[in-house]
Amino acid sequence: MNVLVIEDDRESAEFIGKVLSEAGHQVDIAFDGERGLELARAGSFDALVVDRMLPEKDGLTLVQEFRDAGGASPALFLTALSEVEHRVEGLRAGADDYLSKPFAPAELVARVEALGRRTPNESPVTHLRAGELEMDLLARKVSRAGQRIDLQPREFRLLEYLMRHAGQVVTRRMLLEKVWDYHFDPQTNVIDVHVSRLRGKIDKDFDEPLLHTVRGAGYRLQA
Amino acid sequence: MKLWGVRLPPLARTTTFRLTTFYVVLTFLYTLALIGFIYSTTIGYARVENRKRIDSEIDSILLAYEDGGLSRVSQSLLERAAAPQRYFLYQLQTPSGIKLSGDLSAMPPGDYPGEVEFEIDVRRPGGSEFTIDVAGRVVNLGTEAQLLVGYDISNQGIMTNRITNAIYIAGGAGLLIAIMGGIWISRSVARRAQHLADTAEKVMGGDLTARARTRRTDDEFDRLAERLNAMLDRLQALVRSSRHTGDAIAHDLRSPLSRMRNRLENALSSPDPDLSVSDVIEQTIREVDGVLATFNAILRLSRLDAQSEMRMERTDLGEVVEELSDLFEPAAEYEGLEFRSESTRATQVLGDREMIAQALANLIDNAIKYTPEGGAISVSARRGDDNMVELMVKDTGFGIPETERERAKQRFVRMDSARTLPGSGLGLALVDAVAMVHRGEFQLLDGDGPPDRPGLKAVLRLPRA
Repeated sequence: MNVLVIEDDRESAEFIGKVLSEAGHQVDIAFDGERGLELARAGSFDALVVDRMLPEKDGLTLVQEFRDAGGASPALFLTALSEVEHRVEGLRAGADDYLSKPFAPAELVARVEALGRRTPNESPVTHLRAGELEMDLLARKVSRAGQRIDLQPREFRLLEYLMRHAGQVVTRRMLLEKVWDYHFDPQTNVIDVHVSRLRGKIDKDFDEPLLHTVRGAGYRLQA
Repeated sequence: MKLWGVRLPPLARTTTFRLTTFYVVLTFLYTLALIGFIYSTTIGYARVENRKRIDSEIDSILLAYEDGGLSRVSQSLLERAAAPQRYFLYQLQTPSGIKLSGDLSAMPPGDYPGEVEFEIDVRRPGGSEFTIDVAGRVVNLGTEAQLLVGYDISNQGIMTNRITNAIYIAGGAGLLIAIMGGIWISRSVARRAQHLADTAEKVMGGDLTARARTRRTDDEFDRLAERLNAMLDRLQALVRSSRHTGDAIAHDLRSPLSRMRNRLENALSSPDPDLSVSDVIEQTIREVDGVLATFNAILRLSRLDAQSEMRMERTDLGEVVEELSDLFEPAAEYEGLEFRSESTRATQVLGDREMIAQALANLIDNAIKYTPEGGAISVSARRGDDNMVELMVKDTGFGIPETERERAKQRFVRMDSARTLPGSGLGLALVDAVAMVHRGEFQLLDGDGPPDRPGLKAVLRLPRA
C-alpha cells in the first residue's frame, strides 16, 4: 500500500513510517498540513495517516478540504485526544477511522490495512469468501466446504468483519469498536471468548484452521 | 465586618431598612386618613348639626321679623328667654352696637354678619359661675338691627378634645410601634443575612467545614442556608476527592513507573540470564499500557466531573443491558459463571449512552472478576420507583462489607481482596460519577446469598426520560 503520513512531530512521524515500512508498505511523510494536503492531492495514496494537531493547517481542516476537492483516499486520524466528541468530529470531517495516541504499532498497521481494503464506490457485496468459508450476506448463511454452520447474530457480524478483512490482522479494539460499537476497554477478555466461540464453530471439524491468533496484536482470518 | 477591605453597607442601606421605612410612611399616611375619617364622622358631624339648629332658630326669628318688625322680634326673644328649657343664647343690637335686648352685655368682637365662636361666663340660678363655649351666627335684621343666635357647645368640646387626644395617642403609638418593629425586623434580617455572609467568608478563608445555622422554621433564610450548606457539602466532597485523587495519582502512577525504572536499570546493569531483553521490554510495555489505561480512566472521570462533552440523548437502558449481556455472556460462561439478563419496557433515560454503557461494563467486569467459579451473575434494567430506571448487577461472590461500601466508591480505593487482580481502582468511582452527572444514585447492597457469602448487588438508578 502507498501510505501518506502527515505528522509534525518528527520522531513520531519516523516511527510511524518505520512501522508501516516494516509491514511492507510504501510510506511518504509530510511534516505540516499545507505540504500534506499538497502531497495528498498530487499522489494517489491508498491511505492517509493524519495527526489532528498540525502546524499551518490542522488535520480536521486538511481532511475536510481534501474531501471537498474530491479526494477519495481513506484517512485515519491520530490524536492525543480520545474522547467521543473528538472522534465524532473527526469522522464527520471525512476521516474513516480514528486512533488515539499512544498506540501499539500492531494496532496502527491493522487499522491502516483495514482502510486500504475499503472500496467505497463499488456496488454492495452480497457474498464473502475466504478459502472454503462462504458467507451469504442476504440469506445470512455461512458454510464451510459446503457444510452449513449455524451462527448467532453477533457471531455472524463478527465473522463478517473478519471475512471483509481476510488476510489482515484485526485487533481486539477494532472488533469491539466495529462489531459492538463500544469505545472503552473492558478489563476482562470478552473479545477473546467471542472469537474462541466462533473459532469453535468454523474450525472445529476441519484440519486446516482459518482463524489465527496473532500474538501481541489480534486475530487474522487466513485461508 | 469587612469583605475584601470594603465595608459592608450600613443598616440604612439594607433592603429591609428601606422596606421598613416605606412601611412606616404607609402607617403614618394611614393614621392620618383614619384621623380625618373619625374627625369628619364625629366632630364634623356635630358641627353640621349645630349649624342646622342655629339656622332653623334664626329662620323662625326672621319669620317673626317679617311678621311684625323689631318689636315682634323683641317680644319673641322675651318669650324664648322665659321658656323652661333654654338651648340658645340671643343678643339683639343696633348696627352701631347699642344693645336692644339679649343675654350678653355686648356682641363678641367680630366681622358681622357671619359665624362666631366665643366663651362667656354664666351664672346658674344656684349661684355658681362657670364658663361655657358658644358657637353662633349673626344676621342682619334689615338695616335696623343685628341678631346673634348662639348654641352651647361645651359638652361637644369636651368630647371633641377626648376624641382628638385618643386619635393622637393611638396614631403616635402606632407609628412608634411601626418604627420599632421595623428596626427590630430589619436588624434581625440583617443579622441572618450577615450570618450567611460570615459563613461564606469563613469558607473563603479556607475553612470548608463552616456551615450556616438554620432555625428550623423553613423560612426563606432557612432554605437559603440549607442550599448554601448543601453546596458546601458538595464542594467539600469534591475538594476532598480531588485532593485524594491527586495523592492517589501520585502513588498509583509512581509505583509502576519506579518498578519499570528498576527493571530497566537492572536489565542494563546486571542482566538476569533467565530473562531475555525482549522479555523485559515486553513486561515494561505491558506495564506502560496499564499506566495509560489508568490515565484514560482518570481523564474519563475528570470529564464526568466537569460535565463537559456529555452527549445527552434518549437512551434505552434495556437495550444497553441486552448489548452488554451479549458482549459479556461468553466471558462469564468461560469463567464458569451462570449469566442471566433481563430487561423490562419503559427503561428510557436521558443520558450519555457511552458513559452509561461504560459504567455498566465496569459493574459486570467486577462481577466476573470477583465471583468464584460456579457462581451466577444477573444483569437487569427495569423501571423502579419514583420515576427512576434501575440498572442492577447481582453476583454470588463475597460481596463488600457494609462498612467498606462508601470507601469502595472512592477513587483509587481497592478492596484488599482485589489487590492481586488487575485494575485501577477507578471502576466503581466512575459508576458513582456517572450516577452523579445524571442526577441518579449508585448503591452497593448485599446480594441474595447467605450471610457468610451474601454476594454483591450494585444498583445504578437514573431518572427516567
